[in-house]
Amino acid sequence: MRPRVPWLGLAVLAGGLAAWEALSRSVPGLGDYVPPASRVLLTLGGILANGELAAHVRASLVRFAGGYALAAALGVGAGVLLGSSRLLYSFVEPLVELLRPMPSPATIPIAILFFGIGDEMKIVVTAYACTWPILLNTLDGVRSVDRILRRTAATFRVGRWRTLFQVVIPAASPQIATGLRVSLAIALILVTTSEMVVANDGLGFYILDLQRSFRIPEMYAAILALAVLGYLLNRGFLALDGWAMAWHRGATRKELL
Amino acid sequence: MIWRESRWNGIAVLVVLALSWEAAGRAGWVHRLFFPPVSRILASFAALVASGEVLRHVGVSLWRAALGYALAALVGIALGVAMGYWRRAYEAAEIVIELGRALPPPAIIPVAIVLLGIEDAMKVAVIFFSCAFPILVNTTDGVRAVDPVLLRSARTFGLGEGETIRKVIVPAAGPFIMTGLRIALAIALILTVISEMVGATSGIGYFILDSQRSFRIPQMYAGMLVLALVGYLLNRAFLLADARLMAWHRRVSDSA
Repeated sequence: MRPRVPWLGLAVLAGGLAAWEALSRSVPGLGDYVPPASRVLLTLGGILANGELAAHVRASLVRFAGGYALAAALGVGAGVLLGSSRLLYSFVEPLVELLRPMPSPATIPIAILFFGIGDEMKIVVTAYACTWPILLNTLDGVRSVDRILRRTAATFRVGRWRTLFQVVIPAASPQIATGLRVSLAIALILVTTSEMVVANDGLGFYILDLQRSFRIPEMYAAILALAVLGYLLNRGFLALDGWAMAWHRGATRKELL
Repeated sequence: MIWRESRWNGIAVLVVLALSWEAAGRAGWVHRLFFPPVSRILASFAALVASGEVLRHVGVSLWRAALGYALAALVGIALGVAMGYWRRAYEAAEIVIELGRALPPPAIIPVAIVLLGIEDAMKVAVIFFSCAFPILVNTTDGVRAVDPVLLRSARTFGLGEGETIRKVIVPAAGPFIMTGLRIALAIALILTVISEMVGATSGIGYFILDSQRSFRIPQMYAGMLVLALVGYLLNRAFLLADARLMAWHRRVSDSA
């Protein structure tokens, strides 16, 4: 089946852009704060061509990747461990309840104190914030693994480690994937925020710096680039998820029949 | 002796952590400036609460968060119901909303500064922008998932469109709407802190960053403790409200 072209949605988008263009050109003074859409797009072409944007995107992506990878390792590892043992979880539950509700950007000042103002600080802050959803989803997923699966593994005398890696983790993987997807958006928020608070490169710094130096068309162009980046990361994740989880949907569909 | 699962395990861990932190600070194993003893942090916390200084910052933050959140709830639920109910509305708005949702909310802060300055309006706008999406998307999903039998019954009883929406659709989508509101609550607090760190002279986010910058470290930790407490209490209050508001829903779906 061919995907349907969302004509109406595209028309609304085009109408919105046209209205933006017209208003920005006709209302006196507005153009200084909200430059016409066409100018923003042209400016985007400009900062793409001269490499200014690419350098900041690269800096942000390095921090994003570092923090996200660290969080994935920590979150899945700790989630599997804590999900496998209620006793173990009872030792950390109050700690989790104390730290979890604190808005994660509040860790930026303390991270500055311990890690300085470089990449490490941003990676640590991003990793901290992203670990929570991954950990809690993994924990939930491991706990709700079908008992029949565990017992079947035991019946076939499958060892502890093999059960963990070939039964428990695969069975919990859809929820692990959910945690990873939620963290994707959170990682971008924390990378840009930590760059806004203190940095000399990266998209968060770049956008705020453009505003402070009153290069308004560039600012809008960079924000547009960030939205496209967020969109592509999410799309990429969904494609990867669809490919990696295809077996799971195949395996669970049989039950429905 | 075999350890058993109990609430005290975790509390014991917290106490041991606090005591070793205290001991390490006093013995000089860790940097005293960076890791002030827990007792000093708690003393600073008490002093800040007693002087009312921290409460003033928390009050300012909560006011901004509440305004942005309330606006987002209003707009998000209204638009979400429209998009869930009318297919055309959904098709019209889908692309614009997908684009807006892809933007990490902090990126909107510079735009808000340009258009609204650095006062409360900027923060409220940023909080509104970030909270509206989860509420909108969940409401849309909830309305689309409403049992068609309910809609047909409403038509059979001769309910008009407005009445159907108010008396059937919104209540039936209630749990979805509440999910969106709960997610948005955490986001509201996060964006309040972020916008106060980037451009403000008051609020708890400003307070924590400013404490760090002026090297009043025990005060920085105390501020984080306050923020954790605020987050915890808000979440608790939301769960209580949710349980009360949605009690009828659980009763209905249990009996069904």
